[in-house]
Amino acid sequence: MKTGDLLDAATALVIGFEWLDKAVAPVSPYGERAFSQLLPFHAGEEAAARERAQQIAVAAAALNAERLDAIRAALSQLPDAAGAVARASMGDLLDDPEFLELQRFCTTVERVESLLAPWTHREPLANEGVHAVAAALAPGSRNQLGFYLADAFDGELKRARERLERARAELDSARGRERQRAAHELRRDEITGDEFVVMRDDVAGALPAGIRVLRESPTYRLCALEYGEASLAALERRDAAAALAGEAEERVRARLGEIVRERAAALDDAAAAIGSLDVTLAAARFAQRYRCVPATIDTERSLAFSRARFLPLEADLEAAGRRFVPLDLELYDTAVLTGPNMGGKSVCLQTCGFVALCAAFGLPVPAASARTSLFDQIAWLGLGREAQAGGLLSSFAREVLDLKAILARKAPRLLILADEFARTTTPHEGRALLVALLARLRERGACGMAATHLAGIPEAAAVRHFAVRGLRDIPAQPSRPDVADALSALAGAMDYTIAEVRGDEEPRADAIALTALLGMDEAFVAAAYHSLAP
Amino acid sequence: MRVGSALLELARGANARSIFVVGIGRDVGKTTALRAIYDAAYDADTSIGLASCGIASSRKPRLWLKPRTVFVTARDALPRTPAAEIVRLSPLRTAGSTLLYARVVAAGQYELAGPPTASGVRKVVDDLGELSELAIIDGAVDRVAALAGADGAIVVACGAAAAKTMSEAVDEVTSLVARLSVAPFDPREPSIQFDGALTASSAAALIAARESRQIVVCDPTQIALSGKAASRALAQLRVRCRRPLRVIAATIASMAPDRSFEPRAFARAVADATGLPTFDVYASTRAA
Repeated sequence: MKTGDLLDAATALVIGFEWLDKAVAPVSPYGERAFSQLLPFHAGEEAAARERAQQIAVAAAALNAERLDAIRAALSQLPDAAGAVARASMGDLLDDPEFLELQRFCTTVERVESLLAPWTHREPLANEGVHAVAAALAPGSRNQLGFYLADAFDGELKRARERLERARAELDSARGRERQRAAHELRRDEITGDEFVVMRDDVAGALPAGIRVLRESPTYRLCALEYGEASLAALERRDAAAALAGEAEERVRARLGEIVRERAAALDDAAAAIGSLDVTLAAARFAQRYRCVPATIDTERSLAFSRARFLPLEADLEAAGRRFVPLDLELYDTAVLTGPNMGGKSVCLQTCGFVALCAAFGLPVPAASARTSLFDQIAWLGLGREAQAGGLLSSFAREVLDLKAILARKAPRLLILADEFARTTTPHEGRALLVALLARLRERGACGMAATHLAGIPEAAAVRHFAVRGLRDIPAQPSRPDVADALSALAGAMDYTIAEVRGDEEPRADAIALTALLGMDEAFVAAAYHSLAP
Repeated sequence: MRVGSALLELARGANARSIFVVGIGRDVGKTTALRAIYDAAYDADTSIGLASCGIASSRKPRLWLKPRTVFVTARDALPRTPAAEIVRLSPLRTAGSTLLYARVVAAGQYELAGPPTASGVRKVVDDLGELSELAIIDGAVDRVAALAGADGAIVVACGAAAAKTMSEAVDEVTSLVARLSVAPFDPREPSIQFDGALTASSAAALIAARESRQIVVCDPTQIALSGKAASRALAQLRVRCRRPLRVIAATIASMAPDRSFEPRAFARAVADATGLPTFDVYASTRAA
């Protein structure tokens, strides 16, 4: 897939574009070609995005996982016959490996068509051209994987080969007699190779007739057996028969090539259809595996979902035996997100980006339900872009330049996800900058969410306020100082639910509790609590 | 005597399902030895798979192949006539072309090919194992690692073309055989494990340190020493490997365009120095 101007590289990395790209990758060369050209839908293409997601969902419902995997396994073995079709359409003579590719292409298309039977109301995959070429090449089929220009293709080919076989047998017989005679005269069991050594001790005097000396040394001679009259005559007959058999083979190839040439357009159509199908089925398997549903595509700016998941993290958590807590959110303008460290603020922003990204490519989204508009730009700002940092700029300066670049694009529909913007400057100025950012986004009519630890932003910027609920209670410190145990204890105690906050936010001390949980000594933690006291 | 049959018997005695024919240089009779084994196996009704694996740009052998023989060739090198049965297309590549497996239907001249990489060679050996009873591979010495620890056997070809004197040729083949025949390591005894190649400088450092532990490389091709240096290093160090190879025989080619050695003396010298059954494929003899 191509991100086009939907995302920059840093945003793509943070919101899981590469992960998604792998998760929905097709398996055939035709699918890969179609997939590499896939661009996100933009505003105005809502109907097309909806249609694609619906088509994927219908395929996922009609074809069970086992059948989908069987089809994809067949597609993964599909050779790329595009070159052979192109050559045939130009009138070039095809070779046997190309006939094998065409035969396997046509038979795989027919096989996939039959496997797709439960999926009704779709365009047929195989066409008359595919059936005609499959039938024309069928006599050459060998164990489904191989091809031979068999006698069954043409009666004249069969006869030419029989004549060649007889001529070859005559030559072998004549040559065999000459070898046998020479071996006898040299008092050997046999002569096998084209060249052989004769020791001078073994043969006193002249060599038998027909044996030519290629090279000599004081003790031996390297020799070759010349062709006698009978062999030469048989050789000429064999060569003539071989030439005729070769011509007969080329005639069959020309005829098969002509059948392919006449159906080149139909084969191209089938190739395009199979490429598109491969891309759709990859997405359908993705939708099945990750329980995705088509989002409602809105023409008004919005991003709302229930029980949504950020799949790259969910996969990592599942590998570690943990569970992703699905998120609910409704965003139609700009908002602020607050919450404790390790409470999932960044993950909430990533989930927003991932859902919007899936919808932009017409993919079902990982949620129980979702509603979103098609954004022209999804931009990540703040924490997580560090991979792009470096050079002479401070992280704050880099952040400001990133923001400048995002706003300069003037994308009509912007989704901006700001993770602790301006965290590296003074809290006083950071707060002012964040309020200014939210005001600018509101002016622009952007959809966005800014996660921050700075207090009082929602009131100052007059935007909605969401918060991670945070620690239910202070988890007990693990018996041994192990980070993995501490994280498990934290996960058990953390309520990752996001809820809209109305009114004043109650001050919390979750960061100090987390510090204790991660093993800092009691005196340090007590000092921190003491400093917090009014 | 029939040299091909004798080599085949030795391979069968070692329960080998694949035979690699390697040489101490170019024009040392590798293809002739391969041809002899092929003819003998064909006459014994054994189904055969052939390939030539090594440096992609090196000259590839063309052989007269008989019906039912499976062979690996470059897609571009498959002759249009006589048509062969294409058994399988491979994604592996040789210089400028992908490879395919074909089965001879009508006897003819066919060019053998194979992949240049060690992993590719391993794949080809496995595939030929599926498609035939015996795989015979014209191989470069540095690619025989594909046989390491498996059921393959090696025939070493040595010839006048690769050395100025008979003595040099014998030294070369002795050193190569010693390298390829390095014994498996004994896990109960102390050892130094080498992840990469054992080079001349690392061997010299170990000899200087009077190292007596086993020096363990992955397979014999990781011993990057040749000639007398290799023989001396192997005599002074306990070099061992994790995945051993099996050298079963040597062949000689006593004639080269610009020199020749006395064939019986050459064969005997190679047999004495290597301890291997040694054959002259051209004279159809075995060293006495």
